[in-house]
Amino acid sequence: MIFLARRLVFYFAAFFLAITFNFLIPRLMPGDPSDRIIASFQGRLNEAQVAAIRQSYGLDGSLWEQYLDYVGSVFRLDFGISTVQFPEPTASLLFYGATWTLVLVGLSIALAFVIGSMMGIRAAWNRGGFFDSFFTPINVMMNAFTPAIVALVLFYAFSLQLRWFPLGRAHDPNLMAGFDLQFIGSVLYHATLPVLSIFLVSFGGWHLGMRNVMINLLNDDFVILARAKGLSDNRVKYRYVARNAILPQITSLALSVGYMLGGALVTEQVFNYPGLGKFTFTAIQSRDYSFIQGQLLLLTTAVLIANLLSDIANVILDPRLRKG
Amino acid sequence: MKSIRTMALLGVGVTALAATAPALSQDQVILRLLPYHTDAMVENYNPNNPTGPQQRMRDFAYEPLWIDNIWHPGENEEALAVSWEIGEDLKSITYKLREGVKWSDGEDFNADDVVFSYEYAKAHPDYPMGIDVFNGETGNVTGAEKIDDYTVRFTLNEPDALARYGLNGLYPLPEHVWKDVEDPKNFANLDVVATGPWTKPANFSRNGHDLCRNELSRYNDENAIDCLRFPQMNGNEQTVAALSAGDLDWLGDGLTDPDVTFLPQSEFNNYWLPAGSDVNLQLNTTRAPFDNLEFRKAMSVAIDRDTLLEIATFGLTTETKYPIGTGEMYNTWYDPEALEPYTWLMQYDPDKAMELLDAAGFVDADNDGWRDNPDGTPIAFGISMPSGWTDWVNTGQTVAENLQDIGINASLKTMDQGAWFDAAPRGDFDVYVMWTNSGPTPYNQYSPMFNPRLMVEGQIDFQAMHQMQIPEVEAALDVFKGSADEATQRAALTDIHKAVAENLPVISLFANPVWYEYSTRRFTGWVTEEDQRFRPQVHDGTRERVWHALSLKPIEGAQF
Repeated sequence: MIFLARRLVFYFAAFFLAITFNFLIPRLMPGDPSDRIIASFQGRLNEAQVAAIRQSYGLDGSLWEQYLDYVGSVFRLDFGISTVQFPEPTASLLFYGATWTLVLVGLSIALAFVIGSMMGIRAAWNRGGFFDSFFTPINVMMNAFTPAIVALVLFYAFSLQLRWFPLGRAHDPNLMAGFDLQFIGSVLYHATLPVLSIFLVSFGGWHLGMRNVMINLLNDDFVILARAKGLSDNRVKYRYVARNAILPQITSLALSVGYMLGGALVTEQVFNYPGLGKFTFTAIQSRDYSFIQGQLLLLTTAVLIANLLSDIANVILDPRLRKG
Repeated sequence: MKSIRTMALLGVGVTALAATAPALSQDQVILRLLPYHTDAMVENYNPNNPTGPQQRMRDFAYEPLWIDNIWHPGENEEALAVSWEIGEDLKSITYKLREGVKWSDGEDFNADDVVFSYEYAKAHPDYPMGIDVFNGETGNVTGAEKIDDYTVRFTLNEPDALARYGLNGLYPLPEHVWKDVEDPKNFANLDVVATGPWTKPANFSRNGHDLCRNELSRYNDENAIDCLRFPQMNGNEQTVAALSAGDLDWLGDGLTDPDVTFLPQSEFNNYWLPAGSDVNLQLNTTRAPFDNLEFRKAMSVAIDRDTLLEIATFGLTTETKYPIGTGEMYNTWYDPEALEPYTWLMQYDPDKAMELLDAAGFVDADNDGWRDNPDGTPIAFGISMPSGWTDWVNTGQTVAENLQDIGINASLKTMDQGAWFDAAPRGDFDVYVMWTNSGPTPYNQYSPMFNPRLMVEGQIDFQAMHQMQIPEVEAALDVFKGSADEATQRAALTDIHKAVAENLPVISLFANPVWYEYSTRRFTGWVTEEDQRFRPQVHDGTRERVWHALSLKPIEGAQF
């Protein structure tokens, strides 16, 4: 408990540090977001109008005043107005993008983790056998592929040429969002290729990780005891070895989940998938500061929460941590 | 119990399915077009919001006063105005408005709406309605006066024969709706009230929306299209694939090698790329060696423009004849005799270039293999362009190689698009590849190009990046603007052309293509090379696009 409480304090402090950096960085760069807007009027604005524009972007007043303003707006969940999609509030775009990123990257990570780990377990148990010698190098090699190439190849082959899958988007544009079978079916159909393109380049990592941790554990005394007791192979494999091997994997998983909200940029671009990666890329290119700041904040919060969950999970799963 | 539960579930299931069935009836004629790329459609129908809604709402829903027919000036240009007249002193323009036009909610359109639009623009200077309102320092339009129900007179601060081009592009707003809108910049305009052929938004989602028929429009009878559909799309792979698959009919995206990558994808794919505005090299004449006229001349002669046309830009661009900063788009304004003596500057002649450089003192003083300035300082510069723009990157590469061939240490400098845009107003560059403005007359290009106000560091306009002030040009521009007589205007323009050719603040390269792709799967009536009725682009800024949409007819048996 004390362990958790200490962690919470730490996370809160980290969050505040993140907000502060988020506030400072755009202001330390040359030029500020309102410069672009002002320049677009080509000298037709007078003093008062320029001041009005700067005020609407929170760029008036002393640095300290701006900072307090910013912290207040963060806790009100007011992330400002997007300049790319003026005057749409940034929060609505972030929420829309985050939902679909969670679907896309969530599905990909879940699949990659489960399938990769299962393959890793089997490879470790029969290490040196056919499964291990064939799949381990192949999976690791696939991990080295660029998601960009995989996405483009899948798009070209299956969407464009064979027409087996749609060209893009998260769901059929004619369907309205809702938790009904048709809509969910459409979402899954449209997500197949994007999820596949991320899955293919990531499951090798989980496979290798699981296999290596397990191989280290297979020589431990408790495994030898279990087998000596006459327990079945499956029981030893899953209830004894894998269960211990999963601990470091859970930590890695929590970290990946945290970075999930960074989005999968190229996949989303190729498949026109409305995720955060795509929006952030456009925002960076067009200097949409309020969106970039909002996204940075979202990502930082997600990573911190994921770390917190990982700590909690470790406490629950690993009795050795409960005493501290 | 069990049967009731089953029936309830069945009922819910059927309702769910029915509720999620496509909301359109299948026999509506729908034109799918993409005027701009976006990541997510926003529910905003404001005709003066340049981030996106303007591209959808102008021309199709909101009509301008006058549609300048750039390719066939003077033909069929009336829109909400039926005639214009410039005052004798060139300080006023009087428009006669079309009678019998109704807004889509039944109210009459008349001079009150136009006068209101002017006053509204004046009251909200941060809302870009496109009127050059005089605010004490800049601008020219000082007032709008209602002469009678269908006549409006705009008054100007200074005489300007060209003011009508700006005012022609005013999209009048309905007074009875907008007088209550206090913050137009943030206004989403969900209930569209306009006069154009399609004014009813429908089926909005993040994936796109429709804009459907306005029954009260005077175009209604000849309009064969029930709804325009604007899908959300981003990325050239997506848009080209969508056109090939039948998800788009009309597009305006850049293509690379279209005969290989675009045409074979579908029998219905078509494209035509008419010559657009010029692309120039903007030289920063405040820095050596660009402050030397002989150096600039040598640069111009050293460039192999044939390679640029055929290879660097994949054969998609067209040749520019004269070193005058603008090109074929304005070829009706040329005076070939006067410009003939300058054509040598456009011919590829590296020997001549080296001669010019030697004579001007640009020799290799420190024996490092590269020429130096006459005062001995070394020359090394980069030609900047955004890293994703393949044809321009190729262009920059070719130019750099051409210059290296004559001993100048020029290299390619690709940058992130945003950084490229940002560096220009600051004056932080050597050479830029830069487009030019299009517009009804060459004035639209030369005015920003030589306006001293736009050469101020921090506010440098993309066209004024060279930062060379030429008083003869400024004087000639005033003459052009101050006279309604075509002969006087042409003479003034020839003076400008000669001044640019003599001084070479920019180096002309080629004319950009106008991007235009279309599908013949569902519609006929498209503008083609054989039938050049009017400019065919789908983008905002081309007011003729509404005519294009209206002239499309569905093909028998096409599925929508």
